[in-house]
Amino acid sequence: MNRLALNMLFGDRAKLAMLLCGLAFSALLMAQQTSVFFGIMSWTYTPIYNIRSTIWVSDPMVEQANDAKPMRDTELGKVRSVDGVSWAAPLHMSILQARMTDGNFKLITMVGIDADTFAGAPAQLSQGRIEELRLPNTVIIDEWGAQLMGRTVVGPDGKTKTVPLKPGDTFEINDIEARIVGICKVRRAFTGGPFVYTTYDRAKAYNLDARRTLSFMLVEPRDGVSAAQLCERIERETELKAWTTDTVIWDWSDRSLAKNTFWWFWKNTGIPFSFGTAVALGLFVGIAISGQTFYSFVLENLKYFAAIKAMGAGMATIARMLLVQALTAGLIGFGLGAGMAQAIGRVMIEKGMPPFVMFPQIFWATLVLVLGISLVSAIIGIIKVSRVDAASVFRG
Amino acid sequence: MSQPTFETAVRTHGVNMFFGEGESRVTALKQADFEARRGELIMLVGPSGCGKTTLLSVIAGTLTPQAGTVEVFGQRLDGLGQEDLTTFRRKNLGFVFQSFNLIPTLTSLENVTVPLLIQGVSQREAEERARIVFEKVGLKGREDSRPNSLSGGQQQRVAIARALVHEPPLLICDEPTSALDKDTGAQIMEMIRTLSRAPNRCVVVVTHDQRIFRFADRIAEMEDGRIRRVVDDPRQLDTTHL
Repeated sequence: MNRLALNMLFGDRAKLAMLLCGLAFSALLMAQQTSVFFGIMSWTYTPIYNIRSTIWVSDPMVEQANDAKPMRDTELGKVRSVDGVSWAAPLHMSILQARMTDGNFKLITMVGIDADTFAGAPAQLSQGRIEELRLPNTVIIDEWGAQLMGRTVVGPDGKTKTVPLKPGDTFEINDIEARIVGICKVRRAFTGGPFVYTTYDRAKAYNLDARRTLSFMLVEPRDGVSAAQLCERIERETELKAWTTDTVIWDWSDRSLAKNTFWWFWKNTGIPFSFGTAVALGLFVGIAISGQTFYSFVLENLKYFAAIKAMGAGMATIARMLLVQALTAGLIGFGLGAGMAQAIGRVMIEKGMPPFVMFPQIFWATLVLVLGISLVSAIIGIIKVSRVDAASVFRG
Repeated sequence: MSQPTFETAVRTHGVNMFFGEGESRVTALKQADFEARRGELIMLVGPSGCGKTTLLSVIAGTLTPQAGTVEVFGQRLDGLGQEDLTTFRRKNLGFVFQSFNLIPTLTSLENVTVPLLIQGVSQREAEERARIVFEKVGLKGREDSRPNSLSGGQQQRVAIARALVHEPPLLICDEPTSALDKDTGAQIMEMIRTLSRAPNRCVVVVTHDQRIFRFADRIAEMEDGRIRRVVDDPRQLDTTHL
């Protein structure tokens, strides 16, 4: 009967197309919005990706990675003295304004790293060398920033275009020159400003020698000491906060800075609500369109189901037929919707906006929800058919 | 053509059937006694609202009477639960409906396989058996046609093939010719009568169509929810009120 059920479903192409449209749209909305949501949320802990270190140490009042509460430089010595620390390096992080040569201002995320060890330096440079940061007034800027802060020129065809910054170009931070010596590849940040790397001491200068400039300390444990163990020791002995930097977000530890950053944004912004609304909308639209279409499909076939009942098919057989029809439509609709979400995601990733991260879990969750929609539709149909009297086939 | 035997195939005795409660209660069958024999084609006739369809539904096991006994090929239907009635219908009944009830999104052959698939026969075997019956009803070559592309007569032939494919002893026909022209109706009835001649088969036809009365072995005339009389010759009927 399963094949017969499928032939009934595929035989009514107009209804099938409508049903698939509803399911595909629903799957697309749920998968795409959830992926963009997780993309945006993954941007919140971008600093942890871009500034690699096993342990981050911060002021005890810090709640998340973008929330630097500057400490005194002397705290570095305290951390270095904790048993189990292999090395500890200072890190400065602040939002500053950069003035371009055309007089325009742009917000940047200034990252000051230790000039001796370059701990926290970007992992990949597309142009220049990290050592050149030891030259006076030098910075390394990320590719996105180079594009964003580029010069606007009018081409021979009269059209304006942006020429990205390159090594040798300069801009100013607090009236101090910043000369680009390298371009790096890093992830973009939630705050939107490009990452500008320089040395820790020069970052202090760009901050006009503020009294406290130590945002975080990057710490590496000695061999044989786990990150969690060392975090506990640091907290006990220095009264500072020590974080691990694992970013596998489905398996966070309590000490994960990424986890705490993620949940801080979850609790303190309207992002989850707005995306949750879109996902819920996808679900309800899916249920409404698919439920309605499948119900009308059942209504149209009601007299045939009544005839099948009269011929001796039990409700279990008919329920199985309806489930096969609804779940098959659900699988196809999911395939179409998730495929479209992936295609849109690829375009987004190429353009860089908005961020798009489709975890396998999103894929499976969307599949489960779409099949749930199909199941609801099938149940509505089963209830309808179960109420049909087999004797009704004799009433014309 | 073999002659009808006189062993009972269907018997109802003292069947009462009503719908609704209180003032809106409608009595459809009142002490309805009916008998059909093996190997015969019997017609149930009577004016609209006399209870023909209700009696047919009771015989088919799709309605359970409030009182009386129903026996089909030795099996008592009154008192059977829904599940047992469903199983009974699956094994023993073939249906020919007034409006054919062929599923339009399936091919004609697929429509004919439905009763076999309900019985759990494999798709391949069901199709093989359906093709044989298809040939018997004179529709060879139209297996892949959708019902809507067939004429009314051809659709009813497909419906007959569907009713017979699982070789049920009892064939229930509800107004089988009402949607057909005179000649096609006669051809269909000729076919149904031939089919009824099997020794272990009985055909019960409900009809308003006086043109096909001549195909009946016997005619049971109903009035006000009961069998008024049973005649062997349609000329004995007073057809003015039918």
